[in-house]
Formats: sequence, C-alpha cells, structure tokens
Amino acid sequence: MERKDGLLVKKFDKLLIANRGEIAMRILRAARELGIATVAVYSDADRDAPHVRFADEAYHIGPPPARESYLVIEKLLDVARRSGAEAIHPGYGFLAERETFAQACVDAGIVFIGPPARAIGIMGDKLMARQTVVAAGVPVVPGTMPGQSDEEMKAAALQMGFPVLVKAAAGGGGKGMRPVLRAEDLADAFAGARREAKSAFGDDTVYIEKMITEARHIEIQLLADSHGNTIYLGERECSLQRRHQKLIEEAPSFIVDADLRRRMGEVAVAAAKAVDYVNAGTIEFLVDKERNFYFLEMNTRVQVEHPVTELVTGIDIVQEQLRIARGRRLRIRQEDVRIKGWAIECRINAEDPYNNYLPSTGTITASHLPTGPGVRVDTGVYVGNAISPYYDSMISKLICYGETRGEAVLRMRRALEEYRVLGVKTNIPFHQHMMDSHRFLSGQFDTNFVEERFSMDDREAPRALEAALLATLATHEQYQRAAQIVAPGDRDTSNWKWYSRWERLHR
Amino acid sequence: MKYIATVKDKEYTIEIDDVPIEIDFRRLPSGGVSSLLMNHRSISAVIEEVGDYWDVLIEGELYAVKVQDERAYRLEHMRATTVSMSGDATVFSPMPGIIIAVPVSVGDRVHHGDKVVILESMKMENELRAPRDGVVSQILVSPGASVEKDQPLVVITQPDDDALPQPSEAAAE
Repeated sequence: MERKDGLLVKKFDKLLIANRGEIAMRILRAARELGIATVAVYSDADRDAPHVRFADEAYHIGPPPARESYLVIEKLLDVARRSGAEAIHPGYGFLAERETFAQACVDAGIVFIGPPARAIGIMGDKLMARQTVVAAGVPVVPGTMPGQSDEEMKAAALQMGFPVLVKAAAGGGGKGMRPVLRAEDLADAFAGARREAKSAFGDDTVYIEKMITEARHIEIQLLADSHGNTIYLGERECSLQRRHQKLIEEAPSFIVDADLRRRMGEVAVAAAKAVDYVNAGTIEFLVDKERNFYFLEMNTRVQVEHPVTELVTGIDIVQEQLRIARGRRLRIRQEDVRIKGWAIECRINAEDPYNNYLPSTGTITASHLPTGPGVRVDTGVYVGNAISPYYDSMISKLICYGETRGEAVLRMRRALEEYRVLGVKTNIPFHQHMMDSHRFLSGQFDTNFVEERFSMDDREAPRALEAALLATLATHEQYQRAAQIVAPGDRDTSNWKWYSRWERLHR
Repeated sequence: MKYIATVKDKEYTIEIDDVPIEIDFRRLPSGGVSSLLMNHRSISAVIEEVGDYWDVLIEGELYAVKVQDERAYRLEHMRATTVSMSGDATVFSPMPGIIIAVPVSVGDRVHHGDKVVILESMKMENELRAPRDGVVSQILVSPGASVEKDQPLVVITQPDDDALPQPSEAAAE
C-alpha cells in the first residue's frame, strides 16, 4: 500500500539498518527474532563494530565522518538495491528525521520503517508543528508568533504573565534565548536576543514564550498502525538532562497518576492523528508544578530511551515497528496496555564527570557487563572497539527493572558497581552519585536539576586506599619478576635457557 | 620494600615485607581483573597499566594511581620544586575537534578552572579550563580552526611580579 503522503507499507523479508552502535544492534535483534534477513552498513571507523558481525550481510559506505557515510542517502539506497533489501530502518539520529530520506525510500519502492514523509516534515518544523497540533486541540506553551513588533510582544507578555522567554525564531541550543522576569527588562532582552540571533543564525527574528519554571520533561510513547489505530504506552520521565542531553530516564513518572496519564495519552494520540501518523513516535511535553502539560515537540522515530517503556509494558517496540511497516494491525488495544513495575535507564557515556563531563576518546580495553535479575544492557561497543570523535559518546544504556521504584534503584546501584569499562573514562560515578542523591530518591527534580543543583564535588572516593593497595601490589609483582629475570648474575646462562625461563614466568 | 602510591591528592606509604596480615593477591588471566583477599576481605578490581600510572576501577569509580619506590618518589619531588613554580602551562586539545570560541585574550589574568577554550567534538561543546592561575601569554588557535589531539591551544604564564595586567573589557562579557 502506498499513500499520497509518502507512506509505503508492504511485507518485506530483508531489512537494511542505516545506523550503527547500540541502536543498530537493537534493530538487528528484533529483525532476527522475526526471521527477517539483515543488512548492515559501516564506515571505515566501524569495520570492527559488532553490528557488522551480527548482520547477515554488511556493506562499506565510506570514510568515518557521518556526512560522508551514514548521512549519504544515495549510498544507502545503493546498498539497498545491491543487497536486495526491501526495507530500511533508520534508527535514531543520522537520517531518522529527514523527510527527504523517507520520501526517497518510498520513491525507490523501499519501505521506510517510520512515519509518512509528510508527518516528518510537519513535525520537524517548529512553527508548523505548533499550528497543526493547536488545531487538534493540543495545549502548547503560550507564546507569540515570530515577527511581531516590540509593543505587540510586550502586550502579549503582560497578558500571559512573567517570567517569559525571549527566543530566536531560527534558534536552537539556547542561543538567542533570554529569560525576562519583569516588563521593564523586555527592551534590553529583545536587543540582546536579536544581536545574538543575528550573529549565530543570520536572522534576528524573535518571539516570546511563557517560561515554565520547575518544569519536568515527560513524554508519551505512541504506536500507530496503518489501519488507523493509535495507542499510547504510558509516559517516560526524562527530566534529568545536561545541556539538553538526557542522562537518566524512567517509566513510569513519579508525578504522573492514572488520570494524568490518560489525559496526556489522549492528547498525544490526537497530536499524532493530526498528521496521520504511522509507526512508533513520541510526544514530548513540559509539565509544570501544577501538572499542566504543554506540547513541546514530536520525535518521529524510535527513542534512545524506549527500553524503559518496553520493560514496564512488556511490549517490544522495535518489533512492533517492523510489524506495523509490514502492514499488520496492532495486536494490542489501548485497554490491554498495563504499566507494571518500574524501569530506570542510565546512559553510560564516555565522559569524565569529575572534569566538566569532558568526552573521553580511546579504545575499550576491558568491558565486563553487569547481569543478573532485572538488568538489561543495550550496547554496541565491545573490547577493542574505539570511542572515536566521529560519533556520539554513548557506550551503552544500562536499564534496570524492579517491582517498585525503590527496587529498581537498588538494582541500578548494584549493576553500576558491577559494570566495568576501562580504556575511557565513563560517567558511571555520576549515575552512582545520582542514585545516592536524596532529591532523586524522593523524585524532586526538574529539567535544571543536573546543571544547577547537582555536583560531583561532594562525592567521596571511598575506595582510594584499596586502589592504592592494588596498584602497589601489582607494581611489586612486576619489580620482583624483573629482578628474577635480569638481576642475578646478569644472565649467566645462554640466551635460549634464559628465554625459556622468561617464557615460563609469563605463562 | 617501601612504595608511595598517589591517588589524586592523597599519598599512601605502603611497605611490603613479610606481611603480618594475610594477603592473597591474584591477577586473573581475563580482561585485567584482579582479586585481593586481605584477611579474608575480598576486594576485586580491574587494573591496567597506563604509562607511568595504574588505572584501578573499583565499583564504578576509576582511580589513577601512581606507584613509586622511595628513590623515584624523592627524585620527582626534587624536580617538582625547582621547575613547576615558574614556566608556562599549556592547554592542549584532549581530542580532535573544532574550536568554537576562545573566551580569553592575550594578557588576560585567568584563575585555575576558568574557561579558556570551547572545543566542539563528539557533537558536544566542551569547555577547556585553565590548569592554574596566571596570565594568558599565547593563543595558538582561532575560532573555526580544526585541531588534533594534544595540539597546544593556549599558553598560560606565571607572572614574574605582582604588577599584573587587568582583565580586558571583552573578556568580562
């Protein structure tokens, strides 16, 4: 079935995975379970990566920089043609939210595992997304349209109440953004934001938005089939972020009760239906202190943090994506979705929490994954693999499940202690510190918590003495060995005898 | 034999003789795992030699431990007191990337921990900070430049006297 809005749905038996790392592994596993043949792609940097070995076939697509390999649409379509793959899963990142890629797949007669191209286009445009969901009755953060005069914006600000945010229309990453607490400060903020926006984006158009203080970032997972059925799989709490990068996610959320879940879920379904959405998607909301929620954006792809939802609902989201793309009806109805237990995900990144979270590159020299009850690790990095500057710094996702939140936290603490990665610095101590933090344990945090009120400085290094002992013993062992080899009589025996003795010692 | 093990700012003096407490230390053949039984208390870690120190990973925390015998320790400390008080401190690029900004100018007074370079790598902006107090004497890169790992970026000099230049207006922004 092919729709006018750029959706192609049909049965397929061979899947190309246009991604790398843990998400490529995740998709490979789902495809294997469904008996679908798999095709991997790799850049020069990824010849040794596990996704190449786990796939049935693998094709080289160019040099390490993504714009010369994983982001080149023609190369991916060419691999699909050469390998006979009938479908492409984009994963997340890279080409996952490019309208042109989805359309190019459909034009080539290849199933794109994701929504129709038109839905990606609308949701990818901030302004269009906002207008579309507002028309469907979805609440959004109050604000003005870009391009109004200072007087108009001031009047709007007075009406919605302070604090407000002055934002750049072309903005992103906090550039050109100014919080304003009082009407008197608006003029300065307009001027400052315009100056910054002009130099950063070459466009000084600004608008204002009500500032939601002590906001939480909570998102709703959706599944929609091509037969008009759309369901929500509950929420994920994603407030623990640093510079807009999520670090810890959990499901369910500490602050969402059954009534709020239903209301947010129904609004999310309405937003998806407004763009005739198909496949897995996520609606992100800001939730304020009074538990009012506002549409932030829609992610038209599988999310990094999808496993927490899988653990509390028992639904394999990636398998569902493949089934939906093959034209199947959803097997689950809304009333069958049950949230059971609690799941927490920690993103294990190659970065140094004691040194301003500086990314750490290098080759993984040792990796011992935690295991045991309630522990899942999704990773695409093994011993010998490099954390290179070409791609993101995520080593793995550690996900723990418990009957209650408390049990999930205890499991996470245990698993973090068990997890051993050497070769690069990791943010495991950050997660351990968070799992010990009273604010985290009592669920009292918002999107600013990590950056403004959480510090690694008060973390004790409790095992320094043991570390000193172990290193000293290892050094001592080396000294003794060295002394045995060369010191006595300066090697009075023949070289061959000496060599065999040396070999015995090192066996 | 006497060793001095340094972990961050702490120093431990450890003597290994005919030990009065029972120690059973093993390095297992797989993946750097070692096991220490000390009076039956079990301590397990992954340890790995990296240059002139050891990486020791215990329960999620990574400790960089430098172990020296007495002689090596004394030698280094003699050198340290004569050289490191003066001279230049250089900020190197810890990884390949692109320079986003250099928020200091030559002549600026900086303090230990101040932002001196913003480097984009691995899709993130990373702040590189001054390794100590001093005055910026050289800036070797400009925004937009691609840099390699270990490339020198900014040099900070220990001032000779107290007549320090004041921070410029631009650096205050």
